[in-house]
Amino acid sequence: MTSFKTLMQREWLQHRFGWALLAGVPVAIILPLLTLGQVNFGEDTTAHMAGSMPLFITAASLAATVMVLVGILWSASLIQMSGLARRDHGDRSNEFWLSLPTGDAPSLAAPLLVHLVLVPLAAVAAGLVAGLLVSLVLVTRVTGLASWFTLPWGTLLTAALAGAARLAVGIPLAMLWLLPLIMLTVLAGAWFKRWAVPVLIVAFGLAGLLFERLLGLPLIDAWVSRLFEMAGRALLATGGHGLTIEGQSDLLAGLQAAPRWVASDVLNALAALAQPVFGFGLLVSAGCFAALMWWRRR
Amino acid sequence: MSEFLVEAVGLSVRYGSKAAVDDVSFTIPKGRVVGLLGHNGAGKTTLMRALVGLAKPEGKLSVLGLSPRAQRQELLTSVCYIPDVAILPRWARVGELITLMSGLHPKFSAERARALLRRTSVGLNDKVKTLSKGMVVQAHLALVAAIDARLMVLDEPTLGLDVLSRKAFYEMLIDEWCDGERSVLISTHQVEEVEALLSDVLMLNEGKLVLSTSLEDMDRRFVALSHDPAVAEQMAAAHPLLRYRVMGGSAALFDGAPPDSVLALGQRVRPSLVDLFVALTRKPELDRTQF
Repeated sequence: MTSFKTLMQREWLQHRFGWALLAGVPVAIILPLLTLGQVNFGEDTTAHMAGSMPLFITAASLAATVMVLVGILWSASLIQMSGLARRDHGDRSNEFWLSLPTGDAPSLAAPLLVHLVLVPLAAVAAGLVAGLLVSLVLVTRVTGLASWFTLPWGTLLTAALAGAARLAVGIPLAMLWLLPLIMLTVLAGAWFKRWAVPVLIVAFGLAGLLFERLLGLPLIDAWVSRLFEMAGRALLATGGHGLTIEGQSDLLAGLQAAPRWVASDVLNALAALAQPVFGFGLLVSAGCFAALMWWRRR
Repeated sequence: MSEFLVEAVGLSVRYGSKAAVDDVSFTIPKGRVVGLLGHNGAGKTTLMRALVGLAKPEGKLSVLGLSPRAQRQELLTSVCYIPDVAILPRWARVGELITLMSGLHPKFSAERARALLRRTSVGLNDKVKTLSKGMVVQAHLALVAAIDARLMVLDEPTLGLDVLSRKAFYEMLIDEWCDGERSVLISTHQVEEVEALLSDVLMLNEGKLVLSTSLEDMDRRFVALSHDPAVAEQMAAAHPLLRYRVMGGSAALFDGAPPDSVLALGQRVRPSLVDLFVALTRKPELDRTQF
């Protein structure tokens, strides 16, 4: 366990400045822009949210900032992990790591866990903090500083934490749905290096064509589409249903109902795992992981 | 428990159809400093990688009583390996490497590593990428010497280093590592420099082991005779391993004692490891007296 935690610590030591930049730079750009630039929410929104603009702005700021930071850091992690197999080969430090008594499985699993799950979760936390700053600036610009302090913080923070909890469950689930595609990319990187993604796209295309010609079924396309669809549902199982906000009364009620809605949505997301396509995806992922370990030993 | 730290019998390592190590048999007892010598491509690195489980061997190989390939993780807790000194992660600070090795190696002592580093010009806060090659060597050796291992495998650790760095490296090796219980296997091209350090030598030539001996036995077995050029033909007639120039004359190297009549023609001198290396690994059609 110490060894696994240390392998995770390695990721932190190696990438912490990169992560800080990816999270900090967008916020550092947006805050001055919001402070000095023009802020306009549109007539419709202003009309609907007339009495609840500060609440709307804060809720929207928190949601948007979390989404942006999670999007940036998650994308960066996916790109990083696609090169996992050949990582450290450039400076030959892979030989240093291979000279240490660490198993192949933890050496592969630790970076995957950190980059695909922990980093996006950290982005959620960072997004919440940054979202508060963004909301402070925006609310001050639109309605004045005093109105920020008079917001229903109990309801807001409860809703924000419920949303964060939803993502804390949703991100790992989404990763599990996408894991076969990620692991196939990592495995392709072991042999094809920078050509992994093009080779994989061509391979998928040809395989899809073959299945369609032989069986008359677009199996590959259907499988990949399904994985992406289910990964999206892992983050938001209802697909957005029940989240329509017509006006200011809906907003407060919606925020108050957020924890209950999140609990129900989590159950829906977990129930969606009980599908053969999920089991098949885990099998493919396990096979790719085993192949990577074999490759590493070679 | 075997008395030998390393036992190899009929060991071969192949890359496709090419045998990088070909039917090699040797043992390494404890408390020895073994030099692994050979030309480029002789199979030294491959042999070392087989010893630490990074290359798939054929034949019998046991390191500390373990199979390097099947029990690699367990083996590496008691064997430390420097494959190439330029391979420390360039992004890391030296202090961070100590932290990581403390968590990844059960026999690593962070305190000892820091103490060894204090004897060098490397600071804990230095990033590997800012260190010179010599400083990377010192840092890597300090990290490795802080492991309470029984066998150290060093693959050309002094390659590219200046003489001061090499000297510092050998001193650290002798002072901090060689305690009579642990063994070192070191491959190097600087044969003259390490000769004083070694207790045993393994010589590889095109994958085959051409010599496996202690330096004491080497002195007893091989006879070098320094002689006057006038008796060169009589020396040649005795079929020495090698004839070569020395200051003031010529010399001939024999495997085993030459006939008394030949012994009388010259003066016995101690054969150097370099000359023995040349004799055993050169192509037979080359004769150094021709140059």
